[in-house]
Amino acid sequence: MAMAALRREGRRFAGSITAPRPMPAIRSALISDEQVPLGVRSISTQIVRNRMKSVRNIQKITKAMKMVAASKLRAIQTRAENSRGLWQPFTALLGDTPGVEVKKNVIVTISSDKGLCGGINSTSVKISRAIHKLTSGPEKEVKYVILGEKAKAQLMRDSKKDIELCITELQKNPLNYTQVAVLADDILKNVEFDALRIVFNKFQSVVAFLPTMSTVLSPEVVEREAEAGGTLGALDSYEIEGGETKGEILQNLAEFQFSCVMFNAVLENACSEQGARMSAMDSSSRNAGDMLDRLTIFYNRTRQASITTELIEIISGASALEG
Amino acid sequence: MASTAAVPFWRSAGMTYISYSNICANIVRNCLKEPHKSDALAREKVHFTVTKWSEGKPEKPTTRSDDPDV
Repeated sequence: MAMAALRREGRRFAGSITAPRPMPAIRSALISDEQVPLGVRSISTQIVRNRMKSVRNIQKITKAMKMVAASKLRAIQTRAENSRGLWQPFTALLGDTPGVEVKKNVIVTISSDKGLCGGINSTSVKISRAIHKLTSGPEKEVKYVILGEKAKAQLMRDSKKDIELCITELQKNPLNYTQVAVLADDILKNVEFDALRIVFNKFQSVVAFLPTMSTVLSPEVVEREAEAGGTLGALDSYEIEGGETKGEILQNLAEFQFSCVMFNAVLENACSEQGARMSAMDSSSRNAGDMLDRLTIFYNRTRQASITTELIEIISGASALEG
Repeated sequence: MASTAAVPFWRSAGMTYISYSNICANIVRNCLKEPHKSDALAREKVHFTVTKWSEGKPEKPTTRSDDPDV
């Protein structure tokens, strides 16, 4: 958003350079009526100097934000990659079946609280809406649980009545498992579901983020699918130690799976957020640099034109006196 | 197949497995010696705000936090 605004300003500016006479059609925000009266040929250099100062400040700020995002990314990246080992055994045991047919779907959309991070929140929301469309139908119910301010703002516009829970201020303290576990507990207690679809941006590399959906089933659905066969049907071949029944264990496993998958999803999304912010701020500072170059050229040209005009006046005045 | 076996005490008290494991983990953390104990406890702070929505309208948000001032 910042880059588009800078680009728009630059284009408006180029229009005023090419026309020597200030026509009302291309009067830009640069030339306001109080500062430059009608009929004056060139723009005052003071205005250009002010603009250059502000663009230079923007460039410094965005460069600093990029450094901050890079350091935060380094801190969180190893944790996210290590947390992948939490849900992989679950997927090996219980499988990840996105195509399961259930009545009650709950879409958990994970997004960031802060902005200026490129398009990752919009992609998450787009995918959530697509899943909503895919999984809705007669006798089916689809609800949203939203993590983060950005997705809340977008989903509030057209899916207000489908929102169940909104969770914000998640990143006030560094992300840890306890926090996500308490969060998962809250969701489990407040929301009824047959299948949970967790939508987040998986961190592949600093420039690549893959929108992903993980499916976690409720224990009853797991039992139903186990009887149907497939990966879950192989559960019966496991021996159960201790005094618990299979249903008990399935319930514990399903809850723990949800908590682990959520932890990984939140970490990966945080990584993607920092990476996206890095690239957004990088292109913003690059655009600011380009704009600064263009402004410098224009400033010099204006300055030289005014000097030439003065010289011409002096010389023609002097020759008029002589002649 | 309905399980009629006796449920564990924490399940019948209304806790999920997640909260049970959280409480157990907290007990283990409290068994550590200083300085590891304060490091571990500082690492696992909880803070977030939950807003329940009903009929398209947000209700009053509740903040769950370990901070003493919130």
